[in-house]
Amino acid sequence: MTPSLAPEEVLRRVEGDVRRAVRRGRNGLRYAAGTDRPKVGRTPKDVVWKRDKAELWRYRSDAVAYTPPVVIVHSLVSRSYVLDLAPDNSAVGALLAAGLDVMLVDWGVADAVEADNTLETYSDGYLPEAIEAACDAAGSDEVTILGYCFGGLLSLLTVARHPELPVRNLAVMATPVDFTGLSAMTGFLRDGRLDPDDVLDETGNVPPEAVENAFRLLRPTGDMASYATLWQNLWNDKYVEGYQAMAQWTRDHVPFPGAAFRQTVEQLVRDNALVYGELRLAGGTVDLGAIACPFLNVMAERDHIVPIDAARPLSGLVGSPDREELCLPAGHVGLVASRTAAKVTLPRIADWIQRHSQTPAAAPRRPHRGGPGTPALPPQPEED
Amino acid sequence: MPSQPPLWRRAFDAVEKPLGDALAQGARSGAFADVVAVGVRVERLARREVERRTRRVLHLANLPTATDVRRLTQQVTELQRQVRALSREVEKR
Repeated sequence: MTPSLAPEEVLRRVEGDVRRAVRRGRNGLRYAAGTDRPKVGRTPKDVVWKRDKAELWRYRSDAVAYTPPVVIVHSLVSRSYVLDLAPDNSAVGALLAAGLDVMLVDWGVADAVEADNTLETYSDGYLPEAIEAACDAAGSDEVTILGYCFGGLLSLLTVARHPELPVRNLAVMATPVDFTGLSAMTGFLRDGRLDPDDVLDETGNVPPEAVENAFRLLRPTGDMASYATLWQNLWNDKYVEGYQAMAQWTRDHVPFPGAAFRQTVEQLVRDNALVYGELRLAGGTVDLGAIACPFLNVMAERDHIVPIDAARPLSGLVGSPDREELCLPAGHVGLVASRTAAKVTLPRIADWIQRHSQTPAAAPRRPHRGGPGTPALPPQPEED
Repeated sequence: MPSQPPLWRRAFDAVEKPLGDALAQGARSGAFADVVAVGVRVERLARREVERRTRRVLHLANLPTATDVRRLTQQVTELQRQVRALSREVEKR
């Protein structure tokens, strides 16, 4: 028998439903009109180094409690603002709140000029320079590197090829090394049905739409499911705001430089060269065993882009005596941008970094160009 | 206790999940890869053919073609690369 409701309770429920319907209508109209573009990348920062389109940003903080600085290396195919989506959903903000001195290498948007950029351009050129610049800006002798996705791969190549670089710790998140584990996304290219050049556009780069379509193929009904979730939560202003920021990011990929893409396909996808220790860059072979600093491999349990099988072998390939694995309950993006990220994944990553850092007073310092909040280059406008 | 999703959502999920899995499986198949590969090549060929056929007409009207623009872009790109290389040389000194 259905329990009877008091008239006040009925009235209260009706009022609640009407309020939700009004908000649903208002948010739906705003979303459809596209007038409420969310502001992203709002954490204040300064550009402390710039080379071509690559920039090193230092986030302002008055509460740095650990040294060395953490240099986040972002992927080549997506925008770095996923790490700083909103004030209450910001990986950068979480790391700052943990007392870390946070910097980020942003690659900008590649065009025809970058089409010739090879993996060496990043591992032997930009990243070593950015690491030096980070040390200068923070007045530190070392850095901790935190690479995300393809940025993790670039970080691995850099540290493996340049053991002389002042890298105290290396942490990578959702970073593929065994490319057989990425079969869903790379199948076309692995078996030669498509050649790398078939995918390049007239600028010589992989166009953002191709990257987006490749991701879409992994979950063909993903867009429908996310629209259904949006409809279900359309009354919730906070949800809609977060949804818009994330939706903006997922449709905002950047071109992948053609030469680096060719190397990735020919050596990593087809030959799985990193796993077999056969990756050839600039005439030499990359040996991940040369990585000797403390190492953290962060994987996401529900990662459909870089499945655990693609990331796990990494821990056995690096030479670090101090190496750790974290398998966290998140998806690929959820590792850095979600409620789980704020509560579970980022605190655990920050904890590892803290344990492998020291307080500034205990650390040797070297003369530097600028302290916290002192830009070495003109201030960076907020990304919108 | 978390509330249960509405009926429409449960119905949607009941259809979407198996459908999504089946489509993802299909997208990994060799047949789909063949179709995509042929599609990519046909599109490229079609674009080249259209450019070839329209080139003469556009040039008759003294208008630039996509090929002309591409050639110019390549030249500008090469110049930009040279400027970058020179800037690095200057910095080193």
